[in-house]
Amino acid sequence: MHIHPHMKMSDLVKADFELLAVLQRLKIPFGFKDKSIQTVCREEGIDLNFFLNLAKWFHERDFFPGETLMNHPVKWLVKYLRSTHSCYIDYQIPRIESEIIQIENTDQASSKNMQLMLKFFREYISEFTAHIQLEEEKIFPYILELEENLEKEKPDPEFLGKARGYTIRDFLDEHSDIEEKLTDLRNILLKYLDPPSNNCMFTNILIEIFRLGKDLNDHTILEENVLIPQVIKLEEQFHQKFPEG
Amino acid sequence: MAKVLIAETSYLVRRGLINLLEHTEGVTEIKAEGHPETIMQTLKEFSPDILLLNSAITLPVNHDELLSRLHDNARIIYIINTPLPQDSPNHQISIFDTKNQLSEKIAYHLQQYRDRREEKEETEELTPREKLILKHVALGLTNKEIAAKLFISTHTVISHRKNITRKLDIKTVSGLTVYAILNGIIKMEDIS
Ligand SMILES: [Fe+2]
Ligand SMILES: [Fe+2]
Repeated sequence: MHIHPHMKMSDLVKADFELLAVLQRLKIPFGFKDKSIQTVCREEGIDLNFFLNLAKWFHERDFFPGETLMNHPVKWLVKYLRSTHSCYIDYQIPRIESEIIQIENTDQASSKNMQLMLKFFREYISEFTAHIQLEEEKIFPYILELEENLEKEKPDPEFLGKARGYTIRDFLDEHSDIEEKLTDLRNILLKYLDPPSNNCMFTNILIEIFRLGKDLNDHTILEENVLIPQVIKLEEQFHQKFPEG
Repeated sequence: MAKVLIAETSYLVRRGLINLLEHTEGVTEIKAEGHPETIMQTLKEFSPDILLLNSAITLPVNHDELLSRLHDNARIIYIINTPLPQDSPNHQISIFDTKNQLSEKIAYHLQQYRDRREEKEETEELTPREKLILKHVALGLTNKEIAAKLFISTHTVISHRKNITRKLDIKTVSGLTVYAILNGIIKMEDIS
């Protein structure tokens, strides 16, 4: 499918329903009627090209996202990533957790194994939450301030102090792998656990874990290959514009 | 049965190889990347059996480092941007090769891979030694502590751990702990 501004938004979703996640994270409300992509974007105040580039990357996946997505204001991407975070924390993770609990409660035979899975998953949740908290509370605010201050005649002195002693490269070095544990859980459920009698629900958990894993993978690519390289460029511009001393 | 990663900058060549591999017997999963950074990421997550790598790509790691990031039985086939002589080695393919030449070379590698897997199938179980190592890992011991306990080098412990992870498909310590409990290698009460 070739994605273009004049196609109907509803046709886009019909052709690739995985794009619903992109729409949701851009907070585009459904109920498109026959509106085109262009019209919906204009009404929602979303840059048309930003939308097209995101949708194309998620749909085609055959080019490096940095190629097209790095040419937009960094705050748009940050907003997108934040909205992805809240989707994980408020919905997807608790949902998987409650499904594991449900099997644990209904299936006597496998309740012990499920207890173990739950313990493992909760460990994962706390790691995951810490990862996201760091980004939400420190990294993203720094990035937004950087972009803002770069526009100013004179940077905010407090931020200037911060910018002198910090670079986003430090963050990249320690940006932890949040998929590893989830992949382990998936493999254990798939390969080593006797399936509980409620197989339908069990399968559903597996599907959701597969989905989440894929989604996290995309998220990490956007962070590491689009956002951070873009911030490194902004940092360079910043230090050029406001040289030390 | 092999997982293949295509690392190729050219869109046309990438699409062409995907197409070819999709119709090749013995290929279970195909991934394709065109950028050094995403290549390295996919390499880590996907752990391919065969890496088709364009020789003109500069990766952030050198050749030895690249090999160490592949699993022990993985192999690299280089994609060369110039025509190759008739008797070129099997681990080189050229973008000028005919479909037959490509298929033949790729099938050669897949064949070897298939053979290896079939005989391996029965030995995917952990050895008693590996089980012992796993037990200590699951109990929370570090590589150093395990080495001291079993009178072996840390290097040996690491190499056992690599094999355990490959056989079980489990990377993290907590994951290995769960496996150990499920299989009665340790008890739930042992950890807390
Ligand atoms: Fe994130
Ligand atoms: Fe992250």
